[in-house]
Amino acid sequence: MKRDPLVIVAVAVTIALMLVVGLRSVRHQQNSASAPLKGALAPDFTLSSLDGSTVHLSDYRGKAVLLNFWATWCPPCKIEMPWFVELQKQYGSAGLQILGVAMDDASPEEIARFAKEMGINYPVLLGKETVGDAYGGVEFLPYSLYIDRNGKVLDVAYGLKGRGEIEDDVKKILASSATVQAQK
Amino acid sequence: MVKRVVISLGLLVALALELRAQESFAKKSPSVTLLPAPTAQLTRGKVNNVQLTFSVEPGFHINSNQPSAEYLIPTTLKLDPPTDLMVGKITYPPGEDRSFAFSPTDKLNVYSGRFTVLVRVRPLASVLAGEYEFHGSLRYQACDNAACFPPKNLAVRFAVKVVKPRPPRKKNPAQSPHAGN
Repeated sequence: MKRDPLVIVAVAVTIALMLVVGLRSVRHQQNSASAPLKGALAPDFTLSSLDGSTVHLSDYRGKAVLLNFWATWCPPCKIEMPWFVELQKQYGSAGLQILGVAMDDASPEEIARFAKEMGINYPVLLGKETVGDAYGGVEFLPYSLYIDRNGKVLDVAYGLKGRGEIEDDVKKILASSATVQAQK
Repeated sequence: MVKRVVISLGLLVALALELRAQESFAKKSPSVTLLPAPTAQLTRGKVNNVQLTFSVEPGFHINSNQPSAEYLIPTTLKLDPPTDLMVGKITYPPGEDRSFAFSPTDKLNVYSGRFTVLVRVRPLASVLAGEYEFHGSLRYQACDNAACFPPKNLAVRFAVKVVKPRPPRKKNPAQSPHAGN
C-alpha cells in the first residue's frame, strides 16, 4: 500500500504540536506549583537574627526586600553573597533591604563566623522549617524572593542566577511604590 | 517528499528532547542509590572487605568524604552491624576535583556517577556461620550546576554470608631418605 507523503507529514506535524502543547502545559503546571507565591503577599514570619534581635518580615513593609534562603553548605549560595553585599551598598539608600535566611543545621556561632568571612552587611536570620514550609518548602538553595514595598512577591528565583538578572529584579522591586511607610 | 518527512520527524524528536531537558532542571530531586551486589562471603575470625557501590544520579554530584572546604558536608557511611560482626575501617574513594558553572575558578572535591566504599568487617571466631544483615545510612549532600539540596540520609542495607575458615592443609610428614632401610 502506497502512503501519501502529505498525510505522513500532516500526522508528524500534528504529533509534534500535540507534544509541544502537552509538554508546555505540564511545564506551566509545574512552574505554577513551584512558584505559588509569585504575585501573592509574602508570608510574614518571626525569626531571630544573628545579633539576637527578633525580626518580622512585616517590619520591612515600605522597603523593597530581597529575601534570600541560603546555607553554609551551599557553594552556589556563596557565589551570590558578594553580589548581595554590593547591591545592599548600592541600593540600600534607595530602599533595598536584603534579608538572608540561613536554612542550616550549623550552630548560630558557625553561621555568624561564615557570615563574617563573607563580609555580609545585611541581617542574617536563623531559618526555621515552618518558615521554609510557608515559602513553598525550600527544596533547594539558593532560593530568593523579590518582595515589593507592599509586601507582594514580584518574582522568585530558584538556584543561582546571574548578577545582572538579580540586579534587574532588585530594580523592579525598588520601582514599586509603597502604600505603607517603612517601619525599619 | 521523503526528505520532508524525515526532517519533520527529526524536528519532532529534537523538540521533544529540548523540552525534556528544560523540564529536568526545576523538578528533579537528586538521588543516590546503593547498587545491588552479590552477597559477600566473610571468613569467620578474619578481616574481610565488603565493597558497597553507590550511584549518583546523572546531572548531580555529592561532596566526597574529604570535601575541599570546611563548610561542605562530607559523604559518610554509618553502619549498625549485627552482633559479633565487627566493623573496622571504612575507606572512601578519593573524590574528583571539579569546577562547576556556578564557580568556574574553584574546584570542589566530589563524587559523581559511581563510587565504591570499602568496609572492613571481622566476624568473631565464635559467630555462627550463616547470613547476616547490616543496616546503616549514607549521609550526603547533593548539588547540580546551579543549586544545592539539603543533606539526605540514604538507608543502606546489605547481607553478608559468614563462612567457616578453610581447614589448614595437612603437611606431608617429612620423608627420610633412609626410610624403609
